[in-house]
Amino acid sequence: MRNVSSVLGKLAKTMSISLMLLFAVTMAHAQDIKEGQTLFKSKCTTCHAVSKKVVGPALAGMSERHPEEWLVSWIHNSQAMIAAGDETAVRLFEENNKLVMTSFTDLSEDQIKNIIAYVKDEEAKAAAGPAEGTAGGAGAAESEGANTLMILGLVAVVVLAIAIIVVLNRVIRSLEKIIATNQAAIEAAEAANTGYQESRFSKFAKAFVKNKKLVGFTVLLFVVLLSFAGWNTLWNVGVHQGYEPVQPIKFSHQIHAGANQIDCQYCHGGAFKSKNASIPSANVCMNCHNTVTASDHYDGEISPEIAKIYNAVDFDPETRTYGDNTSPIEWVRVHNLPDFAYFNHSQHVVVAGVECQTCHGPVETMEEIYQYSPLTMKWCVECHKATEVDSDNAYYDQLIQAHEKLKKGEKMTAAMIGGLECGKCHY
Amino acid sequence: MDSNKKYWKGLEELQQTPAFVEKSKQEFAEPIPVEDVLNEAGLSTKTPRRDFLKALGFGLGAVTLAACNRTPIHKAVPYVIKPEEITPGVPNFYASSFNGQSVLVRTREGRPISITANPNSVGLSQGTDATTSAAVLDLYDMSKLQNPQIGGKDVEWADLDKTVIAALNKAASAGKQISIVSNTVNSPSTLAAIESFKSKYPTANHVQVDAVSYSGIIEANKLSLGKAVIPSYHFDQANVVVSVAADFLGTWLSGEEHTQDYVKNRDSKSLKSGKMSRHIQFESGLSMTGSNADVRIAIKPSEEGAVLISLFNAITGQSVSGGVTNKKAQTAITLAAKELITNRGNAVVVAGSNDVNIQLLTNAINSALGAYGSIIDLDNFSKQYQGSDADFQQFLASANAGQIGVAFFLNTNPFYDYIKADDVTAALAKVEFTLSFSDRADETASVLKAIAPTSSFLESWGDSSSKEGYYTIVQPTINPVFNTRQADQSLLVWAGSTTNIYEFVKENWEANVLAGTGKVWNDVLQSGFIYKGTDSGSSYSANVDVNAVSAAILTLSKAIAGEVELKLYEPSGLRDGRYANNAFLQELPDPVSKVTWDNYAALNPRFAEELGVGENDKVKVEANGYAIELPVVLQPGQALGTVSIALGYGRTKVGKAGNEVGQNAFPFARFANGSKQLESKATVTKASGTYQLAQTQTHHTIEGRNIVRETTFAKYLKDPNSESGRFADTHKTYDLWNKFESPGHKWVMAIDLNACTGCGSCIVACSVENNVPVVGRDEVRRRREMHWLRIDRYYTLETSEGKLTKEKEIAKADAYDYEDVTVVHQPMLCQHCDHAPCETVCPVLATVHSSEGLNHMAYNRCFGTRYCANNCPYKVRRFNWFNYWNDSRFDNYLNNEFTQLVLNPDVTTRSRGVMEKCSMCIQRIQAGKLQAKVENRKLKDGDVQMACQQACSANAIIFGDVNDPDSEVSKALRNERVYYVLEEINVQPNIGYMTKVRNTFEA
Repeated sequence: MRNVSSVLGKLAKTMSISLMLLFAVTMAHAQDIKEGQTLFKSKCTTCHAVSKKVVGPALAGMSERHPEEWLVSWIHNSQAMIAAGDETAVRLFEENNKLVMTSFTDLSEDQIKNIIAYVKDEEAKAAAGPAEGTAGGAGAAESEGANTLMILGLVAVVVLAIAIIVVLNRVIRSLEKIIATNQAAIEAAEAANTGYQESRFSKFAKAFVKNKKLVGFTVLLFVVLLSFAGWNTLWNVGVHQGYEPVQPIKFSHQIHAGANQIDCQYCHGGAFKSKNASIPSANVCMNCHNTVTASDHYDGEISPEIAKIYNAVDFDPETRTYGDNTSPIEWVRVHNLPDFAYFNHSQHVVVAGVECQTCHGPVETMEEIYQYSPLTMKWCVECHKATEVDSDNAYYDQLIQAHEKLKKGEKMTAAMIGGLECGKCHY
Repeated sequence: MDSNKKYWKGLEELQQTPAFVEKSKQEFAEPIPVEDVLNEAGLSTKTPRRDFLKALGFGLGAVTLAACNRTPIHKAVPYVIKPEEITPGVPNFYASSFNGQSVLVRTREGRPISITANPNSVGLSQGTDATTSAAVLDLYDMSKLQNPQIGGKDVEWADLDKTVIAALNKAASAGKQISIVSNTVNSPSTLAAIESFKSKYPTANHVQVDAVSYSGIIEANKLSLGKAVIPSYHFDQANVVVSVAADFLGTWLSGEEHTQDYVKNRDSKSLKSGKMSRHIQFESGLSMTGSNADVRIAIKPSEEGAVLISLFNAITGQSVSGGVTNKKAQTAITLAAKELITNRGNAVVVAGSNDVNIQLLTNAINSALGAYGSIIDLDNFSKQYQGSDADFQQFLASANAGQIGVAFFLNTNPFYDYIKADDVTAALAKVEFTLSFSDRADETASVLKAIAPTSSFLESWGDSSSKEGYYTIVQPTINPVFNTRQADQSLLVWAGSTTNIYEFVKENWEANVLAGTGKVWNDVLQSGFIYKGTDSGSSYSANVDVNAVSAAILTLSKAIAGEVELKLYEPSGLRDGRYANNAFLQELPDPVSKVTWDNYAALNPRFAEELGVGENDKVKVEANGYAIELPVVLQPGQALGTVSIALGYGRTKVGKAGNEVGQNAFPFARFANGSKQLESKATVTKASGTYQLAQTQTHHTIEGRNIVRETTFAKYLKDPNSESGRFADTHKTYDLWNKFESPGHKWVMAIDLNACTGCGSCIVACSVENNVPVVGRDEVRRRREMHWLRIDRYYTLETSEGKLTKEKEIAKADAYDYEDVTVVHQPMLCQHCDHAPCETVCPVLATVHSSEGLNHMAYNRCFGTRYCANNCPYKVRRFNWFNYWNDSRFDNYLNNEFTQLVLNPDVTTRSRGVMEKCSMCIQRIQAGKLQAKVENRKLKDGDVQMACQQACSANAIIFGDVNDPDSEVSKALRNERVYYVLEEINVQPNIGYMTKVRNTFEA
């Protein structure tokens, strides 16, 4: 037995050691890949993918194609290598239509190695492709299974429901039988009951009708309530606050303006120059979506929403060429001012310095854009009454000198300099 | 001092006809059926309760249902790839040119919406004529062809090219002529294209002919000065101008440029320096130029030559026989000659006749006056009219002889404007292949074998050279809307060239125009023009055999002398009929008669009385074997025994707006001495039936109030304040209202009555800028024209015994012959009164005052009581009786999606039932202020310009901020001549007028 135990003890020892070792190794390895992944996502994905060509070539197999030292130096500064006449570098540059790869001199050697490790790891996962493929297949089967399960479940529910109905029917039938047998007794009881109740109700009703003040009060209450409801309804005719139509592209301001912090002006530059804030033309989208395909969320495929932009500008992501068969994106207009009201974005954004969010709400959190403000005249007027004029603007110098209020040190609002006059907005 | 002169707008007002008196009492021209309803069955019948409830229920239900449509879903469709230069909502300006004038085309999101003068240009740099402002509407004309046609059927360009080239080759191989018949082509590139066409087809020739021809002047200059050109005139150098039947401020040559120069000697700046030119006009019909003259003498067309002979005699002291016998004319000539002689070197005589002999005599006079050089410039000559009537006759003869194989027609319409259309039909029947480049199937194009529609100038690359040394560029502002191709491109294609027209124009400029100027193509695209000429020409001396010429003139005069003489003239809107489908121009009132949508026979009231015809009657006019019936206009100022008829009307195939409007008067013209002439002997007889013209003349009467002020130059020199009669100088005023404070800006206007010629360009510019609808003839008849700005024309009678000034003498007016009238033009628009009467009566506060001195009109607030119009002393408010933009009754004007692209997107289109009026182009004021705010600076004088101001080549309208003491308008309003219309009612108008000054002989 001792032998057995010592053997077991030894075994346990070696096992624990080897486990520990294994753990340590995997730990170290995981660390590298994880950092590599972060770096890869932030620095490389704009132009590269592991297993497919984006702007730059697919990275799979790069460690086999090139020694690690070479790769490090390439990623550091490829142009320097080309300039130095490195044969492989020059060949690679030529092969890729002389596309210049960004230099990453800020990355340390270790960081680059981590990236390479990450790529290798991804590559390995991809190499396990067939296996993963089967896994994926299994997954697919699983999800199909889930579907059948759901259908089976539904069938079960239906069957159960039918069973319940049948049972309940039986109960009803037996109850009816009981009623039939005890008809007379029940009727008698009911008659007694209704007589009592009727007298109670009619008493109350009669008393109510007799009390004219109460009647009057009730009528008044109704009238007040109705007119209140009517008034509110009428005031809101044509007010489309909260209007959130379905757009042809599921564009999310939350991702663009919120998560990615793209300035409003990048897309809606008109707001700073013109009366129209202007919806960006598709070529503005293409500035980024030329490379940003969100394929990491769609199993390596281009996002179907981004594909709509490609469709609009007739861009072929495979060949990276533009065709002539363009078609504009027909967005649904959310903010509709009536034709008789003139509104100029640049007056408000540039001159008055109003934040976009003041009128458009927390756009950076909106998954789908909706009308935040009521856009009624009352709403405009309230703001004009409260908003102070930017007295630093040289345009207002003369007005400021002339304005009595200011001489007294009071503030000057838009309303005071004619901001409420009809012709300022209606012409 | 109040003037005791009596002004009147129409004969009805002068004679106080019962109909006029009755109408003038009413607020609206049409009776409003309120009283009928009240008096008739109306309220006295009992409406059964059930019927009432039924009607109420139905009404309520209908209204609810009508209101229950879903809010429409608006699409916002951005560009796919936005052109870099476009910011939606911000206009772009492109330098281009129209009729040889360098202009700026304003586009919004790629569509042209207005045309204004290029302020940096030489020549006409301020203001455009009415046709230029209106030209933008022609781009959006639905009556244009959308495809090339062969035999009236749409074809592809490739098919048309094949057919044309086959026809050309056939003609060329048969040795037959290929003729390109066009109006004047002064575009260097088109001429180059024609040259390259000619080199491919050596039998090709180019015939130029103008519907209203000036070939007499060209011929006369060729004979007497050795230069076969039309000179440029610099009226700013002329202290004395004598015009014999030349409407030189209107349609004669380049009227707008003449106006700009002419007014320089008559506007407030000139008056301040104590200078004013004198203008004497001899003419038969009262033209716009005649209405501005200091002295105007009515003569018959046959006397034009005699007047010039007398003038020649008086100036040179010779005694050529055949002088004028008319007493009034004789007196005027003696005085005019004295003036001309004293101002030798600064005086000029112009004659409107197209007869070579009359022009020769005019040259002799001008030569004697030393006008050649500074005033008449033969070196930087005009290239606007180079047509030769003789060449076209030659073309017809060749065609008749079967020598012409192919004929192309470019911008010319002989089936409409030739004297005898039958001759053209007969001649063209012998031409194997005929083609028109017309943009529509007009009178000529529709009978030819094929049409190769040319693109509008707003869709084309091109150029023009309206003056020697002056080149302007035409650049497209929009892609061709229809499947059209510009004519010069077609010619290049048929000549076998594959050059794109853009490359062709560019290369032509680089080789021929830009060489040596140190400028490159891109400079021209920005500046719009190149001028290589000089400011004035060198001196010339005319070599004329005066006796022979006078004899020839007398022969001609005899040929046209008669009981009744006919004078044809080019109207300022439609011109020779080119613009007949332009609704803006059709609705532009004639500067003098104020008739819209028709031509008419203008007769002197006294003469009409003799003929037994009155207002609304029709007459039959016969001359040269052609007769038409026309409605009569009793035109004060018209010479007795004459009838004037406008050309350009009576088109049959021009489009929805212009078809069958008026009668064609071209067949009245005749050929004499090798040129087309517009005078002839005629008979006028009363015709049956009546016809009501759509006249804006007396629509807005002013009840004889003292609203036009006029003085003479002599009086002005003594006292600049003379006759301006400012009420405030002599009266103390009391206000019911508090003073209206305008701490920031105060927008005001100054209008110089002495500069305004009444041309009406401002009206069209205003309509284009402010989306003022065209209402059509019927609505104008009902006095519902929508123009925000009108030009009131007032007559005063003048007799040989002195002006008929006193009220009592007006009663005697019947005894006068109505030949001697003087005219004042007064632009009238919303006066933006500080104490506006319209504001106080509006029950819903739809019209209110702004702190910038403007009278605002909130359309969406107005519900159409029309109290404001009733209470407006100036009658400038307009009521929308219809949804003119969306009503099938106005289909022929602007009611279709395509034509509506001309609308200015910054201005609301008003709906039925609301009032509107001049807003002082508030959209421009707001835009100007915003620009200043964005640039963090003060608003400068001149940053904001009104549409009417921009269109005025006379600079009669000055707009600005009166709170800025250095602004042009402040300076103008400090002028002594300034008065305010109806100042005495103390509505405190913000538009100051400057007294009209007339430089008369009597003074």
